Amino acid sequence: MISLVLDVVGTALLLLGLVLLTISLVGLLRLKDTLSQLHAQGLATGPGVIAVLASSVATENASIITFAALGIAFVVLTSPASGHAMAKAAHRRDAGEDLSPGS
Amino acid sequence: MPDWLLVAALVWVTLLLVAGGLVLLRARDAVQRLVAMDLLAVLVIALLALLSYLLDQPYYFDAAVALALLSLVSTVAAARYLSSGGPFE
Repeated sequence: MISLVLDVVGTALLLLGLVLLTISLVGLLRLKDTLSQLHAQGLATGPGVIAVLASSVATENASIITFAALGIAFVVLTSPASGHAMAKAAHRRDAGEDLSPGS
Repeated sequence: MPDWLLVAALVWVTLLLVAGGLVLLRARDAVQRLVAMDLLAVLVIALLALLSYLLDQPYYFDAAVALALLSLVSTVAAARYLSSGGPFE
């Protein structure tokens, strides 16, 4: 019984994660502006990969679920930080002075 | 979870990886390339997680968690380099 429930929940989370990743990729391919692209990318780096990692409940393997929880914790902590850094870089570049040799 | 669903998900995420490479090629700015690279790292994390589910082995998650941390460090360093010319300025 509980196994069936976990199976259904895991499958639903996996499908949700794949849909979110696909929407994010479509947005990245269609949007032109850097900040708009960052907006679309945040869907994949936040909810998308979290849903895929959370679907590990269906495996019913304790070590896999523990690692997935660790991965979710890391993603929750790191994806806003990297998004903020990239948004700041894009904003500084749009604002004017081009200091960097790249691009 | 049925095996065929996991195999289909692996194929689909691999196709998304190809689309991410297309985004990387179409980028017109170094920051846009950075955004695409961050997304590719996330897709590889999802791919390793799905492989771990399919083979029922937790070892692949080591690589996924390490990749998450490395992608944060590299993205922040590159973004700070692009915005101010150095990571500590």
